[in-house]
Amino acid sequence: MHSLTIEICVGSACYLLGAQDLLEMIEGLPPAIRSKIDLRGASCLKACGKGPNLKINGELISDVTPEKLMEIIHNHCG
Amino acid sequence: MSQVTEVVKLRRRVLVEIAKLAFAGVLKEKINEILYNVVTEEGPRYRCCVHKERAVLKERIKLGLSQKSDLELIEAAQKAVAGDVADMPVIHVLSEACDQCPIDKFIVTNACRNCVAHNCINSCPKKAIMVVQNRAYIDKNKCVECGLCKKSCQYSAIIEVNRPCEGACDLGAIQAGNDRRAIIDYSKCVECGSCKTACPFGAISDRSAIVQVVSQLKSKNKVYAVMAPAFIGQFGAKVKPGQVVEALKQIGFADVYEASLGADIVTLEETKEFVSTVPKERKFMTTSCCPAFASMVEKHLPDVANHVSTTVSPMIATGKVIKAKESDAVVVFIGPCIAKKAEAAGCSDVIDYALTFEELMCMMVGAGINITEISESEYHSSASRDGNTFAKAGGVAQAVVDTAAALAPDLEVKVHHCEGLRNCKSALIQINAEKLAVNFFEGMACEGGCIGGPGTLTNSKITSKLVGIFAGASKATVAVENETAAAEIAEDRHWHRK
Repeated sequence: MHSLTIEICVGSACYLLGAQDLLEMIEGLPPAIRSKIDLRGASCLKACGKGPNLKINGELISDVTPEKLMEIIHNHCG
Repeated sequence: MSQVTEVVKLRRRVLVEIAKLAFAGVLKEKINEILYNVVTEEGPRYRCCVHKERAVLKERIKLGLSQKSDLELIEAAQKAVAGDVADMPVIHVLSEACDQCPIDKFIVTNACRNCVAHNCINSCPKKAIMVVQNRAYIDKNKCVECGLCKKSCQYSAIIEVNRPCEGACDLGAIQAGNDRRAIIDYSKCVECGSCKTACPFGAISDRSAIVQVVSQLKSKNKVYAVMAPAFIGQFGAKVKPGQVVEALKQIGFADVYEASLGADIVTLEETKEFVSTVPKERKFMTTSCCPAFASMVEKHLPDVANHVSTTVSPMIATGKVIKAKESDAVVVFIGPCIAKKAEAAGCSDVIDYALTFEELMCMMVGAGINITEISESEYHSSASRDGNTFAKAGGVAQAVVDTAAALAPDLEVKVHHCEGLRNCKSALIQINAEKLAVNFFEGMACEGGCIGGPGTLTNSKITSKLVGIFAGASKATVAVENETAAAEIAEDRHWHRK
């Protein structure tokens, strides 16, 4: 069962600011945590310039770093 | 380039802002706004204060406009919009940004136990080590930085501190000046960009012709893009080549050529050159397409210079194809490479400007284009599999081996390839001294070849796979099967350096 839906924007503005690093971080998570995440790509989350942007369970978060995302995932997945 | 650090983000934000204003035609009027958009009062703050942050930013913007640092921002913007590129090297130290890292190379840490053996003191050939306050102390006036003390300490209590820029430079071309700021020795520098990638303060950068290219795109001139073969996957792992071509047209390019077409021309010419000169006139031949490698040989191994192929690079070959069709075309090379900017400056009759993939994507974002939303059009490579594989280390050598097998099957090609300038340099010295039985050498400055260049956007492991798939789908396998390349060669457009 997925407990977390993460939509990562891979539009040009977000890609330029490191969206790929976020994708790679999630793909590299241990299977026990990775399996709880429903990972989706988005082409624009309408917050260009503040990227990289993503939505976690529908909530928009801007200027995300791999460290920040890791913290959020751990808070959700324990 | 894979990790997008804060330093990388900052540089890209600045270039996006510059491109945005240039496309809108208000660069001169609004250039000072960048200082306030990129560095806000709320932070984030990497320097002591907002004023220092903006002083650094000013230098960064001027280099982003290819202008000298003594100009005012507005004047620099004016010159860039007019198409002016200051006569200066490609790579610079932003003196405001350089943190003047310490130059004491060996430091005794708290791990020192003031042991009985005192291996450090005994190992020091200069008697530079004594015990002060119950701990080893290195007298900097006597120390020659040989490192024997570090090796001798069984507690690993002596550490070696390297300035990242110095450590990254394989050619000893960057050092601390009297005020501890980094200084580039341009008589040794080959503009490979290693120091730029290494500096954690973002204090080393390269000049950019984004504004000059935007001015051309907005003019009546026909502007052509020459895409280096490493472009596959650079703008997003799922972005298709057809989308890249469409995006380039949307920002104003008349058409797009692949430098891999030039690579096929180079393969054919270089193989002919190899067959006719080795071993008769020289024991071995090296590639010439990596400009940092070619420049390294010229500056650091002048004895080997006559072994470098005289064949032009794929960038120049492709530029010649375009200019032959349309002599007033404006040719912009777009690749993973910083050294190509210096190479382009040296052949301005063929290549008008050179940009990196990073700079192109900043331009796209500045123009408001989201490449993932562009519909995909069908795209076929104009080059062979071997031409497209120039992007990867070992690709040029393989292309020459394949073509030699067709042109001169009896000639034995003993190939060797190296990545990294230090490795290239030592291999060449060995080959020249006949310690390595090699007659064709491929030298690449960047790890992984062009896909690992300092101007890339995507992790080279991903690019390597994607380039492999794209190359595998090429109609022609080897250069000799590429009819367009053969037809161009027949035109004899001076494919060799004088």
